[in-house]
Amino acid sequence: MSTAIGPDAAAVPSVDDVPESQPIAWRHRHLLDVDRLSTDELDLIMRTTDAMREVLARPIAKVPALRGRAVTILFYEASTRTRVSFEVAAKNLSADVVNIAASTSSVVKGESLIDTVRTVEALGAQMLVMRHSSSGAPYLAADIFSGSVLNGGDGWHAHPTQALLDLYTMRERMPGGSLAGRKVVILGDLLHSRVARSNIWTLTAAGADLWLCGPATLVRGFEAWANRGAAGRRFHLTTSVDEALRDADVVMALRIQRERMAGGLLPSMREYAARYGLTRERLALARPDALVMHPGPMNEGVEIAPDVAAGPQSVITDQVTNGVAVRMAVLYLLAGTRVPS
Amino acid sequence: MTGPAVDLEISRAWLVDPAAGREGPGEIVVRDGVFEAVTWLSGAEADGIGPDGVVIAPGFVDFHVHLREPGNEDAETVATGLAAAAHGGFTTVCAMPNTDPALDEPGVLTQIRAAAAASGSPVELLAHGAVTAGRTGEQLAAIGELADAGVVGFSDDGAPVRSATILRSALAYAGALGLPIVDHAEDASLTGGAEANDGYVATVLGLRGWPTAAEVAAVGRDLAVLADVVRDVPGARLHLTHLSTAGALDLVRAAKAAGLPVTCDVTPHHLGLTDEWLAGARRWAWEAGDDPWSDGALVGPPYDPSLRVNPPLRGRGDAAACLAALLDGTADAVATDHAPHTEVDKAVEFGLASNGISGLETALGILLAAVDAGRLPLLRAIGALTTGPMTLLAGRSRREAAGLVEGTAADLVVFDRSASWAVTPESLASRGKNSPLIGTELRGRVLLTVAGGRIAYEAPDA
Repeated sequence: MSTAIGPDAAAVPSVDDVPESQPIAWRHRHLLDVDRLSTDELDLIMRTTDAMREVLARPIAKVPALRGRAVTILFYEASTRTRVSFEVAAKNLSADVVNIAASTSSVVKGESLIDTVRTVEALGAQMLVMRHSSSGAPYLAADIFSGSVLNGGDGWHAHPTQALLDLYTMRERMPGGSLAGRKVVILGDLLHSRVARSNIWTLTAAGADLWLCGPATLVRGFEAWANRGAAGRRFHLTTSVDEALRDADVVMALRIQRERMAGGLLPSMREYAARYGLTRERLALARPDALVMHPGPMNEGVEIAPDVAAGPQSVITDQVTNGVAVRMAVLYLLAGTRVPS
Repeated sequence: MTGPAVDLEISRAWLVDPAAGREGPGEIVVRDGVFEAVTWLSGAEADGIGPDGVVIAPGFVDFHVHLREPGNEDAETVATGLAAAAHGGFTTVCAMPNTDPALDEPGVLTQIRAAAAASGSPVELLAHGAVTAGRTGEQLAAIGELADAGVVGFSDDGAPVRSATILRSALAYAGALGLPIVDHAEDASLTGGAEANDGYVATVLGLRGWPTAAEVAAVGRDLAVLADVVRDVPGARLHLTHLSTAGALDLVRAAKAAGLPVTCDVTPHHLGLTDEWLAGARRWAWEAGDDPWSDGALVGPPYDPSLRVNPPLRGRGDAAACLAALLDGTADAVATDHAPHTEVDKAVEFGLASNGISGLETALGILLAAVDAGRLPLLRAIGALTTGPMTLLAGRSRREAAGLVEGTAADLVVFDRSASWAVTPESLASRGKNSPLIGTELRGRVLLTVAGGRIAYEAPDA
């Protein structure tokens, strides 16, 4: 889908102003997935993130853009990194932030998601950031919430802001700021990964030569996607880590969870580490300046060796910093959304 | 309670009578609830009468519905379920026994028969008994008593008969009484936590995959057990309900060719809809392409919980196999698996939503869409709703045949293929508004349903 953003498409948003004053219209009320974002829209998010990075570099890293707006962060799954990142992002924009962790709310008493969202709205929320273990849950919330819903991760389905911060981090480090033709590898448990699914959309949109790699049990189902290349975007799939890593420009390792052993998907963590762990020896197959990424939290010594995670090629802490800027950008854009009537 | 016997004359309509193997221009006269005259027109009299207008067919028979009473009357009652049946053109329905308590002894059957009588609906209510007591899969239910009380089969539907040993006993015990075991074929060890047909759409949407192998493996087991039992109990019969996969239908095709006493049905939703609806596509299975993300098909919201159903909506190859099985007779009938649910059970996260589609009122519309698309002859579509399931009832219906037969009590449906109707929550008589077709228009508006010679449904402006 291509959305015409207008003649000002190259303009940099002036994020010190209120979002509604922007000359560039953002046309989506919610950010639920990245599958239907056009390349123009991705570029706008990247430029807005540039502006937010500039804000973060100021002595007082705060702008009044979202002053008086109520942002509720509703997380049904444990998370520190993403929740805090959204909270810092919203506060940097001067929004009023309320945090609800599902374990401490009436959710445990059996209140439905719809009731919870209605309650949050009645309490004044205008923007809702939510994380949920059930794929598609944010769509249910968006159906009844009168403001904007930002998907902070749903089941195995999508993690839009993670994919956007990954894209930003990669573009920032690539000569010319372009991923076109660059070999990007996502390594590990794809089956259960919302990060991988969202990255498929954004990285193929950015023109990357995308490779997915993992043990056969954890890449199952992606063959059909790779071959179809949904919306004309193809990628490669392999169980051979050597084939995947050879001459790669970017290597992103995904977290392996211990539950996968119980499900009969992996023999052992040890075997996974030996066959698929991102070690220094394996990384040597990639280009010498290849970036090392990980969405966190890491199992060091399993999917990534500690010396690789902390090594000179690692941009893992950049991902965290850029995460705040990207989330400021999408909060800002959604706050100024002009949905075509 | 029930209305008076009807007098009715309809001239210049398109008659479809699968029992007679014929369709064409004709007229019917019903006097005092009995077909007095069924006249086929020809020559000049038939001029201008086509199959695209008003159609008269025998009343439909549904071998598989859930009426939720007793125990879950918020979702459906016998009365609302029979009203939904009549609105869908059905004059005979067979209720599944997964009520609360389960229909595992004759008392519950007495109770729902009383509810049907109290409803005043002339639609015929038949029932399946449970295979096992409490549907727990452990001990046989009161199969003999239920047979005496008039059930039409035995099923633990909602769940498969998990133990092959129990299945073997049940096939033998019920078979000796001339009744089929109706199995929901699912190997549950392959479907723990499953949400959507294992495949491209589920992968992209991040839904837990529900492999076709779960059905194929279960059907393979069932057929092996049947072959074993039938050697000693020639009356043993197996009916496989709501088959959804090409693999399972191929097994049934081969088993029938080998002479095994097996029958099966497919649902309207498994032949008409595919898993791409979960992503937001809203086109018929025969219109589906390779990739809804590429061809502009995603026009609706994704993750609509009304699409969550067991077995799940499959890919277009499996949907085409369901249609092909109807065409070549591998599938004996279309059954709706009408599964009404409350909004409380459906307006939740996709993975938490109850399985099931409210289907009695949209079955005809889906089949007519296949007819309109040239995928299914009208006579076969109607046969799958009438003579096919009537054969499964093996004489246990009050009806002598599912046909337009002079001198018999009138069970008929009149629908207009040139008229569309909007599927809305208000338009459905069922309490279960969980239809993925809500918001769409279906061709083939039912104008009149007559059951047992009495009016069961009449369109408000007909």
